[in-house]
Amino acid sequence: MTVGSQGFIVLVAALSVVFPLIPGVRARQIALAAGSLSFLSLFVGNAASWLALAVFIGSGYLVARALQARPRSGLFAAYLVALVGAFVWLKKYDFLAGLLPPVLLAHPLTVVGISYMLFRQIHFVVDSMEQQIEGASPWTYLNYQLNLFALLAGPIQRYNEFRESWDRLEPLPRHWRETAALWIRILFGVMKMWGFGAALLFVYEKCHERLISLARGSGGEGAGIVLILFAGLFVAYPLYMYANFSGYCDVAIGSACLFGLALPENFDRPYLSRNLIEFWTRWHRTLGFWIRDYLFIPLYRFVAGTWPGYAAGLAFLCYFVAFVIAGVWHGTSSNYFVFGLLHGVGTSAAKVWETLVIRRRGRAGFKTYLASRPIRGIAIAGTMAYFALTMFFFADSLDGCFSILHVVGGAINGLGSP
Amino acid sequence: MDGLHDQVQDVFRRVFGDDALVIQEATTADDVPGWDSLMHINLIIAMEKRFGVKFATAEIARLKEEGQNVGILLTVLGSKLSRLKT
Repeated sequence: MTVGSQGFIVLVAALSVVFPLIPGVRARQIALAAGSLSFLSLFVGNAASWLALAVFIGSGYLVARALQARPRSGLFAAYLVALVGAFVWLKKYDFLAGLLPPVLLAHPLTVVGISYMLFRQIHFVVDSMEQQIEGASPWTYLNYQLNLFALLAGPIQRYNEFRESWDRLEPLPRHWRETAALWIRILFGVMKMWGFGAALLFVYEKCHERLISLARGSGGEGAGIVLILFAGLFVAYPLYMYANFSGYCDVAIGSACLFGLALPENFDRPYLSRNLIEFWTRWHRTLGFWIRDYLFIPLYRFVAGTWPGYAAGLAFLCYFVAFVIAGVWHGTSSNYFVFGLLHGVGTSAAKVWETLVIRRRGRAGFKTYLASRPIRGIAIAGTMAYFALTMFFFADSLDGCFSILHVVGGAINGLGSP
Repeated sequence: MDGLHDQVQDVFRRVFGDDALVIQEATTADDVPGWDSLMHINLIIAMEKRFGVKFATAEIARLKEEGQNVGILLTVLGSKLSRLKT
C-alpha cells in the first residue's frame, strides 16, 4: 500500500469518519501513532532494519537535546558527518562500491523514507541547537518523523509547524463543504497520479523502449521518427513527474488535514518559473526551502563572513554546491549526480544572468526587464526546457541516457546529409 | 528604538549602496530595490557584525517571508540586544 493507492484511499475514508469520534487529543494522537506504525511496518522488512531506524531517529533527538542544552560546534559537526555517513551507507550509494569492501555493503537494512527523515533530522538538530525549538518531547518528535502522511515522500515539514497541529489534533474540517473540498482535492490527486501521470509514463516508457532498442541496433527508424520519439520522451517525463508528485502531495495533504494535521504545500505552478532559482520555490517547495535554509544560507554565510570582498562571486559557487548536493540526495546512482550538476549550473547561471542585467541596466532597468512579457515568455520556456533536460538524466541511468543521445545525434546528422 | 532605527538604516544604506535609502517600520523587501534572498543574507551578516549578535538559520528565513517588515526585524534585533545586555 502506498499513499494514493486504492487501499490507502479506502482506509482514509473509513478512518476519517471514526477518528473525530475518539475523545481527547491524547487518544487521537495514540490512534494516529498506531496508524503511522502500522503503515511503517509495511515497509520495514526485518528486525535489524527496525533497530537501524530506531538508532537513526533516536540519535537525532538525543543529540538535538544535548546541543540545545550546550551548543558545541564540534559535536554538531561530528554528528552531521556520522548521520550523513550512515545515510549514504544505508542507501548503498554506488560510489561506495569503490571505497568499501563488498561485505560492508551487503547489509539487509532497508529504511523506507530515510531520505526525508534525514532532512527533518538535520533541521531539528540545527534549530534545537540555535534555540528555535523549545521543549520537544520524544513522543512528538517520533510522530513528527514517522507521520504516515509525510513518511514516504514528504512534504518536508518543520518541527514547530507539525507540533502546532499535533498538540491540538482537531480533525478538520468541521463543515461538510470543507470536507467535500478536501475529498475533491484527494480524488483530483488520485486522478493526477493514476490518470494523467500513468498516461504520461506510458508515453515516456514507449518512447524510451523504442529508442533503447534502436540504440541496441534492433531495427531502424527515419530521422524524423527518432526525433519525435525523443521529443515525446523529453516532454512526457517532466510532465509525468509533476502529475505524479503533485498528485501524491494532494492526496497526502488532503488526507492529513482530515485527521487534523496541517502539512505545507509543495507545489505552486512550477512550470511558470522564469529561472531555476524561482523554480525551486515552486517545485517541491519544502525541499527548495530546506536547501536554501540548511545548505545555501550556512554556506554563503560562511564564505561571505570569511571572505567578504569575494562574497558576490562566491555566491554563485554556493548555489552550485547546494544544488549539486540536493541532486545527489535524490538517488544513489551517478545519473543523479549529473542531475544535481545541471541544477547547480542552472541556478548559478540564473544568478550570474541577473547580476549581468542589473550591472548593464541598473535596478530600474532590471525592473523593466522583469515586467517585459516577451522576456517573461522566453524565460519560462527556457526554464521548462532546461528542467526537462535535467529530468532526462533523472529518469534513466547514464548508460541509457548516452545511448539515447547517440541515437538522436545520429538522426540529427542524418538530417543534414544528402 | 530611534537610535537603533538609525543604526539599522545605516547598515541598510551600506549594504544596498544607497546613501539616500530611508527605511520605516512598514518597509518590506518589495519596497527596497535589490532586497532579494542574497542581499537579505548580506544584510543579516552586516547586522551581526555591527551589533555583535547572531541570527539563527530559521530566523533568517523567517524574516524574509511574506508579511515581514523592518519593524519585525527591529523587534527581533532589539530583543537580541537586550538579551546580550542581561
